Amino acid sequence: MDFFLLLLATGLVSGAAYGMIAMGFALIYKATGVVNFAQGELVMLTAYIAFSIAASLNLSFFPLVAVTVPIAMVLGLVLERIFIRPMLGEPIFAIVMVTIGLAVIIRGVTIMIWGPDPFDFPAGLSTNVVFIGDIPFYPAQLYALGALAVLVAAAWFFLHRSRMGIAMRAVAANEKAAMLMGIGVARVHALAWSLSSAIAAVAGILFAANFKLGPDLWFQGLKSFPAVILGGLDSVIGAAIGGLVIGVIENMAQGYLGQGLREIAGFVVIVLVLMIRPYGLFGEREIERV
Amino acid sequence: MRTGHFKESYAELVTLSDSAVTWAWVAVLLAVLIALPLFVGNYGLSLAAGAMIAVIGAVGLNLLVGTTGLISIGQSGFLAIGAYTNALLLADHGWPIWASIPAAGVLSALISLLVGIPSLRLKGLYLAITTLAFAFIVNHVILYAEEITHGPNGVFLPKITALGFDLSRDRPFYYFALAITIAVVLVALNLSRTRIGRAWMAIRDHDIAARVMGIDLVRYKLLAFMISSFLVGIAGALMSLHIRFVNIDVFGLILSIEALAMIILGGLGSIAGAILGALFLSFLPEAIRIAFATFGDPSSTTYTAYVYEIRGIAYGVVIVAFLRFKPDGLIGFWRDIRRYWSNWPLAY
Repeated sequence: MDFFLLLLATGLVSGAAYGMIAMGFALIYKATGVVNFAQGELVMLTAYIAFSIAASLNLSFFPLVAVTVPIAMVLGLVLERIFIRPMLGEPIFAIVMVTIGLAVIIRGVTIMIWGPDPFDFPAGLSTNVVFIGDIPFYPAQLYALGALAVLVAAAWFFLHRSRMGIAMRAVAANEKAAMLMGIGVARVHALAWSLSSAIAAVAGILFAANFKLGPDLWFQGLKSFPAVILGGLDSVIGAAIGGLVIGVIENMAQGYLGQGLREIAGFVVIVLVLMIRPYGLFGEREIERV
Repeated sequence: MRTGHFKESYAELVTLSDSAVTWAWVAVLLAVLIALPLFVGNYGLSLAAGAMIAVIGAVGLNLLVGTTGLISIGQSGFLAIGAYTNALLLADHGWPIWASIPAAGVLSALISLLVGIPSLRLKGLYLAITTLAFAFIVNHVILYAEEITHGPNGVFLPKITALGFDLSRDRPFYYFALAITIAVVLVALNLSRTRIGRAWMAIRDHDIAARVMGIDLVRYKLLAFMISSFLVGIAGALMSLHIRFVNIDVFGLILSIEALAMIILGGLGSIAGAILGALFLSFLPEAIRIAFATFGDPSSTTYTAYVYEIRGIAYGVVIVAFLRFKPDGLIGFWRDIRRYWSNWPLAY
């Protein structure tokens, strides 16, 4: 039982990271219809930026997040402006390929700036073990779970209660109609990029604090695909739940089925989910007619 | 007066090329390729053989992505399957090469059904992500099935001879790769003018409309997966012969991206484009290396320290720049030049 609870707890923690990254995917997909293959790279880049800020200013956790998030948002805006905006009106495939290209560029640039060796990055959090019940947690793990909860609440309020969020849902539902209603579609796209890059920054800092800050951090982006597929590509909150579920599944597969399954359990889930319910648990079902 | 290039019958529309000039240029190209060992040394031949393998892979991928419109980021998975099948059959089971290479293709084609069948319900991005998942699963299966694949240790290829030639030497291998490349290109060119190729294009342009026209989507989509993966599997088999040591680290995600970059850069849906793109990207790392070397010591040490990063950035920039400024790819450039040439001094 203890083993089960331990697996569950650590699964939820790594699931929280997946969930946050997946929320970024879903946000961009919802607003622009594009899967941003560079999301994992954004997570990595913003985590490295936070690392440099922390190293030079010696900040504790909350100030660090408060400084990094605006920088990340500007970064998202700039990337959208340079890479995505000129592609407006091009086929989706072309835009997705641009994000793949962007991903490789960010990966290369990051390694060339910060080098290939991983860093320890506590992000201003203490490393004393905290017990909840019988289960030991690092503070960074609890922060990750907390951050996911805060982000989900914020995303819900943003999408359902704020003017801009409702505009985003309108763009997602029907871009042309939204444009005719006077919604600045290009602005909504830019906003989606900057918000998802803000989420990426939080996810990146917490992931690096929990594990290590290395050049393979981008891989977490790919590993979050199962979460976003499970939740449904266009459901931001579904993506967060999908993240937790995938995190737990991965850990259980590792603990009960065998070594190495952790890495692919999520991808096996993807294939199964797509075969049974291609639009995910919370995604919207599209019906096509000629 | 005839002032243009007219097709007057269906047969003319589907001929490989109706122009004697084109055939003459093809003959020149073949002569140059056959005579290449006279002009370049072993290093150049090895590069050229690598480019040939890239051409086979790009042509194969292009049938799936460019012609049929099914996006796949799982290319590296099929390359790995082809390379491992060939290497293991040669090294552990003593198969002759004329059986192991087709076997590599056939196994890739059969395994591609695993991705092909889910793809019947999926479209666009969902399919792209499934193929990505597939590539990861393949890599992990290879890594953990140690009894069969030697896991992380990789496979060394023994010395291979075909028809009395030692394929581990550059010149025989170059000719070997060239022969297979020509065969593959001919197959692909001919496929696109058969019923199958035209059905694929219909599916790409609008699959539901194609279904209404009586095209069996299940059959043709699966066929696209199988034929494309067969060719990619063969490219993988040749790759294993070329690098002579197969290790799972070779088949990372960057390989799939490289392959997509090749067909985008060349021009999606065009076989000549796939060939151009593959050649361009195969020689790009070499060009970058030379460029860095000309700037002297500090820049060439940067290059050796960050080879993979610089290469990755170059691929990324090439993909982004082409999609942004020249979505038709290199083949589009060629068409523009040709139109300009034949219409000069008029603009159109």
